[in-house]
Amino acid sequence: MDLNDFIKNFAEQFDETDPSEIRPDTAFHDLEEYSSLIALSIIAMIDEEYDVVLKGDDMRSAVTVEDLYNIVCSRV
Amino acid sequence: MIVLQDYGVTLKQLTHDKIEMVRRWRNDPKIQKYMEFRDEITPEMQENWFRKISSGNTDYYFIIEAEGREIGLINIRSIDYDKKEGEPGIFIYDDDFLNSDYSFRSSLCLLDFVFGELGLDRVVSHIMRDNKRAIDFNLFWGYVLSPGQEDVFNQEYVLQKEAYYKKRDKLSRLFKKKQ
Repeated sequence: MDLNDFIKNFAEQFDETDPSEIRPDTAFHDLEEYSSLIALSIIAMIDEEYDVVLKGDDMRSAVTVEDLYNIVCSRV
Repeated sequence: MIVLQDYGVTLKQLTHDKIEMVRRWRNDPKIQKYMEFRDEITPEMQENWFRKISSGNTDYYFIIEAEGREIGLINIRSIDYDKKEGEPGIFIYDDDFLNSDYSFRSSLCLLDFVFGELGLDRVVSHIMRDNKRAIDFNLFWGYVLSPGQEDVFNQEYVLQKEAYYKKRDKLSRLFKKKQ
């Protein structure tokens, strides 16, 4: 798995957020566009792209994009 | 008491001992601002409301439980069994679960009940025109803006049973995998 690819896939789930705002240290819960619909899109993307099923509190415990990447890496 | 359990959530029909908690949630400005009725709800008003919704089979309100916590409220109300329609609603009170997939899990659970067990053909929602998140949420499910509602402040959207079932399968598979 590659962090840059993950960030690109992550950024594609947003419609209005500039991809340049999505970095490893981005606290994604704080992004203005972040919503339950975006959370669902990210969960579905991770399932489809990485075949990783996130647990209920994974999205909550991850603060940054890299935190989430690390959770996914640990399950691949 | 009706209990619906699926997709990693439990919906427990609202009982009298929970109405004060719901009143506190409902009066919180973070919830109140999205409601059409925004006055303070008094304990007496809450009692009267609970009596009304408990007196027949046209209103079902459920506390949403996830990960052992009571996180919000979901409902189908004003059911018209002749027209086979009703009005759903949901709010997540617990901030830890606000922008999470639990609103989708809860909605699946409720809508399975609405279209499966209650036998309704459509649900009708009213959303304030400036509540983009709620509109996006409803469009995701397949809701369609009713004709002539473009300039109305509290807009009417309709979800047909067939549109729901088209969306349900993929989402259901995802959440069943997660359990």
